[in-house]
Amino acid sequence: MDATKLLHDLKSKCASLKSAAELFKDCSAGEKKEMLALMTAAAEEIVKTVSALNKAA
Amino acid sequence: MEKLNILVLEDDKLAQKVMAAQLGAHNVDLAGDLKTALKKLETGRYDIGFFDLMLGPDDDYSGLKAIAAAAGKGVHAVVVSSSDSDEIIDRAYELGAGDFYAKGNEESNVAEILRKFIQNRKAAGAADIFTTSFITNDAETREAAREALKYAPTELPILILGPSGTGKTSLAKVLHEHSGRDGAFVSINCSAYTEDLLEAELFGYKKGAFTGAADSRKGRLLEAHKGTLFLDEIGTMSLGMQTKLLKAIEERSFYPLGSDKPERSEFRIISATLEDPQDLIAKGKMRFDLYQRVHGYTINLKPLARRKGDVFLLAQHFTKGGKRLSFTGEAKEWMENYAWPGNVRELKKFIDLLSSGTGGRIALEAVQKHLKSASARRPAAETADAVYADALQRGLEAALEKVSDEIISRNLRENEGKKTRTLADLKISTRLLYATLKRCGIALQGDKE
Repeated sequence: MDATKLLHDLKSKCASLKSAAELFKDCSAGEKKEMLALMTAAAEEIVKTVSALNKAA
Repeated sequence: MEKLNILVLEDDKLAQKVMAAQLGAHNVDLAGDLKTALKKLETGRYDIGFFDLMLGPDDDYSGLKAIAAAAGKGVHAVVVSSSDSDEIIDRAYELGAGDFYAKGNEESNVAEILRKFIQNRKAAGAADIFTTSFITNDAETREAAREALKYAPTELPILILGPSGTGKTSLAKVLHEHSGRDGAFVSINCSAYTEDLLEAELFGYKKGAFTGAADSRKGRLLEAHKGTLFLDEIGTMSLGMQTKLLKAIEERSFYPLGSDKPERSEFRIISATLEDPQDLIAKGKMRFDLYQRVHGYTINLKPLARRKGDVFLLAQHFTKGGKRLSFTGEAKEWMENYAWPGNVRELKKFIDLLSSGTGGRIALEAVQKHLKSASARRPAAETADAVYADALQRGLEAALEKVSDEIISRNLRENEGKKTRTLADLKISTRLLYATLKRCGIALQGDKE
């Protein structure tokens, strides 16, 4: 994947993570659990994307 | 609240979750890929579509295709994407996107998008109100009402100015109906109460708060919780009452009479007056700080005499579903040129009188009979309105001349024709007196004194 697409992917995942963090406080206990799992997966994807970006640079 | 049908095209699971949570109050369908989204859009059941553009790491902005499909189905397409280069933004708008937002601020953006969408849809449907709830064909009045409707869904207070009977209450109701507020429309005419009664009406009271308070009663402020409080003729409210109301508006809480427990109410204020608020402030009849609290947006309604095209439109509306009326050409002409000092309210009474009367085509004599007798019974405020309407119709000079003629003739009659007494009573010049006598066709005789 080229750097432009990696950057887009990175921006997109960071934005989702930010929005999820803003929303988190208003979630019910069940939703928080689900949200945390999704946030963890997104954070792992962000790490992978940053690594890929590092390699592409 | 109005429930919208919304489609979200988003491949990212976390972003899907965020959107679903933000749109929770509506009917939301999620699509994780373009194919599913296009299939769903085919049903034509959506009001809004929120579209991501890059659907997957190697995707080539395939979400753009959903914009065109949505636009073709009349769906308001909103792009929420991290791909926000000028080129992509231009392309999205070319394809028919209604809005374009960068991902990451969904908490504030989504609510704003929905609010604007609902507001615009209501404004687009506003043409209906002019044939159903606020009848007018007058371009200027329609434009003013449309402008006011833009502020209907906001918290901004609205002040409606205009002579008595011009439809201020009808417009206030329309504004409430377009506000999206869950609470009721609560109306009170401030001029109909003494200060004590108005306070009890507005704030409510507890049992035994005063002589005659046999039971506790909820006030209008509380009835208007999450709704609209319409204060008609606010200019007639005493200064003391204005102070109490101002405090309730500012604090959103108040004490019912006889209670030591405050009540909270989130009401939105729409007020109306037939007087000039600036004039009321200058005369010390209206508190400036109260005026500041009630005049967020101001709309001025024209008298019926300046909306001539509305006379027969309103007459038709008032007889809809009932006995229809037909006027002779002469009667129509006379009605069109009549000053309608009582405005729409006077027209409504007039039409009711005619509808209950004898049948057949309505001739000039019948029209004159009803309108002239109505004029004779008119109280002071309506007389002022009549003069105002006349001034608008024939010009200020002609209207003032008519008033002057009436006063001088009456005084002369009361003084049994003694001109020197009239000159002294009214402190007018001999020249004005004689000009009046000539205009009114009163014989120029020597003073009877």
